[in-house]
Amino acid sequence: MSADVSDLSLVRRVQSGDKGAFDALVLKYQHKVTKLVMRYVRNPAEAEDIAQEAFIKAYRALPQFRGDSAFYTWLYRIAINTAKNVVVSRDRSPVDYDLDTQNSDESYDLQSKMTDAETPEGLLLTDEIRSTVNAAMAALPEDLRTAIVLRELDGLSYEEIAASMDCPVGTVRSRIFRAREAIDRRLREIFEGGLGRAEELG
Amino acid sequence: MNEELDSQLSAMFDDELPAAECELLARRLSRDAALQARWGRYAAIGAAVRGGNMRLGGIVAQRVSVTLATEPTLSEARATEVPAQGRALPRWWRPIAGAAVAASVAALSILWLQQNSVSNAAPLVARNMPASQTAIETPASYVVPHTAEPRALRMPATELANYVVAHSQFSTPVSRGSLLSALMANESSATGAAEQSPDAAGNSEHHADNPP
Repeated sequence: MSADVSDLSLVRRVQSGDKGAFDALVLKYQHKVTKLVMRYVRNPAEAEDIAQEAFIKAYRALPQFRGDSAFYTWLYRIAINTAKNVVVSRDRSPVDYDLDTQNSDESYDLQSKMTDAETPEGLLLTDEIRSTVNAAMAALPEDLRTAIVLRELDGLSYEEIAASMDCPVGTVRSRIFRAREAIDRRLREIFEGGLGRAEELG
Repeated sequence: MNEELDSQLSAMFDDELPAAECELLARRLSRDAALQARWGRYAAIGAAVRGGNMRLGGIVAQRVSVTLATEPTLSEARATEVPAQGRALPRWWRPIAGAAVAASVAALSILWLQQNSVSNAAPLVARNMPASQTAIETPASYVVPHTAEPRALRMPATELANYVVAHSQFSTPVSRGSLLSALMANESSATGAAEQSPDAAGNSEHHADNPP
C-alpha cells in the first residue's frame, strides 16, 4: 500500500474547491500538530493558536502542494516554521506588561491571561476522553488491543502488524476496526451526551 | 451506520485503503457530518493512546473551520487569478505563442542592429580618437552615402575599416596595414564601376590617412 494515498485524495478534493475535505484533514492531524508545536511552546492554549495558524497557512498554500512529499510532512514543516516564528517574535518584542507584585489586581489579570484558554470544560472533556479510552482499551480482547496499540502507539503498518501477529493483513484491518468501534461506542456517549457520561458508563 | 463503510473509514484513517476506494470515501467524508465526527473520534482515540498534554476536544478543528468559512474555496480563488495570468488560452497554444514571441524578438533585434550599424559607424571611430582630431574629422565623411546599391553589400567593409582604425593601437602594424589595404582594394572595386562621389572619395582618403 502506498503511503499517503488517503491524505492525497483529500488534498486533491480541497484543491478542487471542497472545504469539507480540509476539515477532515484538520480533524485527523490537529492533535499531532498541537503536540508537535508544544515542543516549542509549553502553554497548550498557545500551542492550539499556533496549530490553528499553521492549518490556515497550509490551506492557503495548498494550491502549491504538488504531492512530492507526504502531506503530513509538508504540514509539519509549516507548523514548525510557524512555531519558530512565534517564539522568535515573542523573544524580540518587549514585554507587554510588567509583573507588579504590589498590585494584586494586575497579578490576577496576568494569571487569568495565562490560563483562561484552558477552560475547565475543555480540561474536563480531555480528562474524560482519556479515561474513557483507557477503560475501553483495558476492556478489549487481547488480540484487538495488541493490534490497535501496534498501530497507534508504535505506528506499524498493517503488513508489519500482520507479520508481528502472524495473521493475514485482512485480519489486522478487521481487528483494528473492531477495536476502534468498541472504543468509539463509549466515546460517542461523551461527545454526544455531554460531560460526565464517562463515570456513568463506568 | 454501514459496517463495511466504517471498516473502510478505519483503513483510510491508517492510509491502508486502496486508492480507488479512497477517492470515493474522501468524497463522502467531506460531505457527511456523521462520518467526519467518527473520523475525528478515531483521531482522538489515537491521540489519547499516544499521550501528551494537549486537549482532545477538537477545538483546533472547530476554530479552523470557522476561520476558513469566510474564505473562498481554492477553486474560486484560482478562478479569480486566471484572467490576470492570461491562462484562458488553451494549453497547446503556449509553445506556439512562445515561439512566435521569440521569432518577433529575433526579427526586431536584426532590424535594430541594421539601423544602429549605420548610425554608430562614425561615433565608433570618433569615440576612440583624441578630442582635437574628432573636432576636425567627424563630419559627414563617415556617413555611408545613400546609393542605389544595397546597404548590406557596402556596410561591412566600412564598418570593419572603422573598427580597425579605432583599435589600431591593439594590432601589429603589419597585419593592420595588410588588412587596411585589402579593405581599400575591396572598397574601390565595389565602387569602381561608378564614379565615386566626393563624399565617398573623402571617406577612402580619410581611412588611408588615419595614423596607425
